[in-house]
Amino acid sequence: MLRYILRKMISKKWLFIALLIGNILLTGIAASNPLYADAVMQRMLTDDMDAYLTKKNAYPGLVSVFFNGSVKKNGLIKENEALAHAVPADFGVPARMEVRRYFMSPMQNQPLIERDDAKISSIGLGALEDVAAHARIVAGRMFDSERRADGTVEVIVSQRALVELNLLMGERREFPKLTDADGQPIVIEVVGVYDVSDVEDPYWVRSPSSYKSECLLDFDLFNRLFVREDLPVALSGCWYELLDAEQMSARNAQALYETALKYQEMGKNRQYLTVTVAFSDILKNHISQARRVRVTLWVLQAPIYILLAAFVFMVSRQILETEEAEISVLKSRGVSGGQILSMYLLQSCLLALAGTAAGVPLGALITQALGSANAFLEFVSRRALPVRVGRETALYALAAAAVSILAMVLPVRRYAKVSIVAQKQKKARRARPFWQKAFLDVIALGTALYGLYSFNGQKAQLAERILAGEVPDPLLFLCSSLFIIGAGLVAIRLIPLFVSAVFRVFRRLWSPALYASFLKVLRQRANQDFIMIFLVMTIALGVFNAQTARTINDSAEENTRYVTGADVVLREKWESNADQVAENPSLDLIYYEPDYGVYQTMEGAASVCKVFTDANVSCSVPGGTLKKTLLMAIDTDAFGRTVWFDASLLPHHINEYLNAMAQNARAVLVSANFRDEYGLKLGDVINYWNTDSESTRGIIYGFVDYWPGYAPFTHEKSADGVYRETENHLIVANLSQVQDVMGVRPYSVWVRAKDGAQFLYDYAETSGTRYAVFEDVDAKIVEMKNDPMIKSLNGVLTVGFIVALALCFIGFLMYWILSIRQRTLQFGIYRAMGMRMREILTMLLNEQLCISVLSIAVGAAVGHLAAKLYMPLIQIAYASSDSYLPLRTSVDVSDTLRLLVIVAVMLIACMAILFTIIRRMKIAQALKLGED
Amino acid sequence: MTDSRLMLRARGVTRAFPVSGGKFWALRGIDADIPAGALTILKGRSGSGKTTLLNILSALDRPTAGEVLFDGQDVARMSENERTRLRRRRIGFVFQSVALIPMMNARENVEFALRLARVRGNLSARAMECLRLVGLDKRAGHMPQELSGGEQQRVAIARAIAHRPSVLFADEPTGELDTNTSLRVVKIFKDLIEAEGVTIVMTTHDTGLMEIGDRVYEIEDGEIVHADHA
Repeated sequence: MLRYILRKMISKKWLFIALLIGNILLTGIAASNPLYADAVMQRMLTDDMDAYLTKKNAYPGLVSVFFNGSVKKNGLIKENEALAHAVPADFGVPARMEVRRYFMSPMQNQPLIERDDAKISSIGLGALEDVAAHARIVAGRMFDSERRADGTVEVIVSQRALVELNLLMGERREFPKLTDADGQPIVIEVVGVYDVSDVEDPYWVRSPSSYKSECLLDFDLFNRLFVREDLPVALSGCWYELLDAEQMSARNAQALYETALKYQEMGKNRQYLTVTVAFSDILKNHISQARRVRVTLWVLQAPIYILLAAFVFMVSRQILETEEAEISVLKSRGVSGGQILSMYLLQSCLLALAGTAAGVPLGALITQALGSANAFLEFVSRRALPVRVGRETALYALAAAAVSILAMVLPVRRYAKVSIVAQKQKKARRARPFWQKAFLDVIALGTALYGLYSFNGQKAQLAERILAGEVPDPLLFLCSSLFIIGAGLVAIRLIPLFVSAVFRVFRRLWSPALYASFLKVLRQRANQDFIMIFLVMTIALGVFNAQTARTINDSAEENTRYVTGADVVLREKWESNADQVAENPSLDLIYYEPDYGVYQTMEGAASVCKVFTDANVSCSVPGGTLKKTLLMAIDTDAFGRTVWFDASLLPHHINEYLNAMAQNARAVLVSANFRDEYGLKLGDVINYWNTDSESTRGIIYGFVDYWPGYAPFTHEKSADGVYRETENHLIVANLSQVQDVMGVRPYSVWVRAKDGAQFLYDYAETSGTRYAVFEDVDAKIVEMKNDPMIKSLNGVLTVGFIVALALCFIGFLMYWILSIRQRTLQFGIYRAMGMRMREILTMLLNEQLCISVLSIAVGAAVGHLAAKLYMPLIQIAYASSDSYLPLRTSVDVSDTLRLLVIVAVMLIACMAILFTIIRRMKIAQALKLGED
Repeated sequence: MTDSRLMLRARGVTRAFPVSGGKFWALRGIDADIPAGALTILKGRSGSGKTTLLNILSALDRPTAGEVLFDGQDVARMSENERTRLRRRRIGFVFQSVALIPMMNARENVEFALRLARVRGNLSARAMECLRLVGLDKRAGHMPQELSGGEQQRVAIARAIAHRPSVLFADEPTGELDTNTSLRVVKIFKDLIEAEGVTIVMTTHDTGLMEIGDRVYEIEDGEIVHADHA
């Protein structure tokens, strides 16, 4: 049987290659799902840990167990130490370092030399395990690990402790209440001052300067002297377990998080114990992100799976079609349906096996492609993702193989039942497909539209849920897919009616060839329906993917540019006399303005402007005072030249507003909500003042819905933890006027760069300038594109688009070549009856027009419509922050062009192949074909 | 009933097919005369070359050498387009296998031949007339798949004569039919000659049908071994 199958495969190699491609792609995409999710999650976790390290300057893998002792509980310290030691094993992550710290709170003490210069502070005594290896002695020497002969204990202090405790090098203190086991009071001597030896050493969970009232002695000595139950003072212990953050696997995030919660809970339940897990928030955030990414991957990939399964189904049905005669011969020779079925099962398993073997490596490749997606159909080289093929990958690949086998074997059932007689009868008339009889298409379309309607009704809640970190509702994506399927099928139902109408209306005009081709299109629809559905779906999905990805990218990018306002927004650290003012409140606060001219003369800057903003301004409105208004004070001329602003956002060009403002020093522009909420009109006067009650008046010269850097609304977490939309109010005033009243306060410099912001980084480095604010739009956009959600979206949509096109191409060629081959006899008859070659070609061309071109057009229309309808909703799901600008569907001409070129190449290649087949056809031979 | 005029005249017709390692001569010098308005039968076993000869006589194929005069014109020297036009206007075909166009019903199949031949006027009426000649006017609306083999072949005949061709070529028209139905088909041929004055050339291996032919050529290995002029 195996030989028979292999022979068959070789004789129909093209069909089987197509089937194999379908299998490989299906497994590849399926395998890429867990591979990518895993890899990107691991990357995300590592990045989050790194970010924690750089932002907080603290080791993210830290679990600290703090035992807050009391005299009565001194005996418990060892017990808690055991608990701390169990931490690495409990988390399943090895510790990079374990640091033990024992200490006693500051105690009364007596200097043993005369000190009359100042008060005597209480001093704590502590010990850090292994401190000698991690500290650098800046003065004096390291303590001795043994008590001196006279019982003196040597200690070292941090620089800060030396100052705060008012100690001298070599000074001795006696602790009257702290006694050793023999009841003798402890005497210490300060022998050295320490500092960290390496600033990056995670050992220093607390910096030396935080040990500001504690002297350190040798750890073992401390143990011997003080760790005992009868110690008259309270003994505390602190265990820093520095778990190796690099070894935390994203896969275990959930388990790690649960362990972290367990520990924190333990700390809450025992009053003397506190446990903090540094990475618990990172994990919590990670888990919710991971869920979003996983759901995103699934919902975005779902249509590709469906398409691929349909492709496999279609190809195997085509193969069966060519084998129909063989099957019926086998049947008539007594081979049972079961045997035939098992033969095809074996064949399918072979293919699925080969598909899996090639599919898993392909999956790894796709994973890298997904990871390097920068925008739609755009890849950049990034660090390679850590791809690990695990059990989950195997599971996905196997599931894909199973689906594929099912898709290949399913159509066999019908053929296995048929004998020669039945085969002829079946050919007679094919009934309407099931979905048409059951109106599944209309139902799908209706459901999708209802979903659209109901989601549109709750847009605001949707946005709030997403911002609260919830997973985007998969139903939303399901709706758009359902729309594509429903609308596509309805179109397939309607296309024949349209073709039929054209056929009837111009009936008299058709040449015999066109007449025959119309009848073919209208009356032989069974297989045709399938290729049409396939074409419509792939093209629709392609267009939808392209537009979704483009729109989400563009709108995120535009929003970033809009909210930032200019290419670069920066503010140096301004010096002020704040220190003096603190001591003498009667002084005025004065800022020392940095040199603004530096930026004006920079080579890389096209133009710059000063923008002063104060988000805490109050103003008078009818019926009261409006607080937390954003005041933006600008120099109109420079502002107009510097900002990034889409001219279509306002009814007039922004420069017209700026020109109007320039006419009067007191002129202000205010956000449109002043007009809509408070009924203010042009020419009205409003008073506004800052928190120092420096007040001025503005005359309203215009209302604006949008303004560079102005967010009309924001979603903010309210007290009850729910995200709510809040309206923001804006007053744009002339800088000179504001500075007259409020003085020169730190303003930002907005920069329009000629070609990137590199020159500013260079300047900052060479001049050593420090910035309080430095926002680089390009950097922000890069960061946005690195967001795993956006990255997955771009990657999956791009891969989906490419797969759709590939399938389209293969499926299309295959269908047409087979369709021509099957009709060789018919063409022979046409030719014998005196039809010219040209007429036959016309006939095929017309068929292409009615089937392929119409389907492609309908597919493009459906995809476009789906994007238009569902985009505003889908975009919400991807907004990592608020988006303010009105959403516009981005149609990139190059995408459409690409699609058109590929489709055109497909059609032309197909026609060329078909024409060659037909031209080579000898009538006499063609007719012979019909004789057997 | 035999018209003295010759419709077709073949002289020294040979046909070679390239095969691996040389040529296979399917026809080795055929001389034949087909009288107008008569039924000529080309008889032979399968592989004898009778179908090849029929294809050449009917301008479907070209001879390797020799001439074929169709109503005085040399078919062998015609261009592809001229032969196509000739087939369209003056020739009708009936094939062994059922060769109806599957997406057209019986009447449309017949009409289609009229369209191809650029016949003007009431196509439907002529199609029905032809179907009546083969006794199938009652089943004009049926699709080919809904007709029996014999019925399909009769529709094919109706289609072949619809545009009033000079010659009707039939390649084993009874090959897939039982004896009764075969006789029925041949009877129709005879009637057609009577009614429409058409010339018919058919091939067969069925010895039982040969008596009916006005002229019989027996072919073996590409040569005429016996000619019987009734």
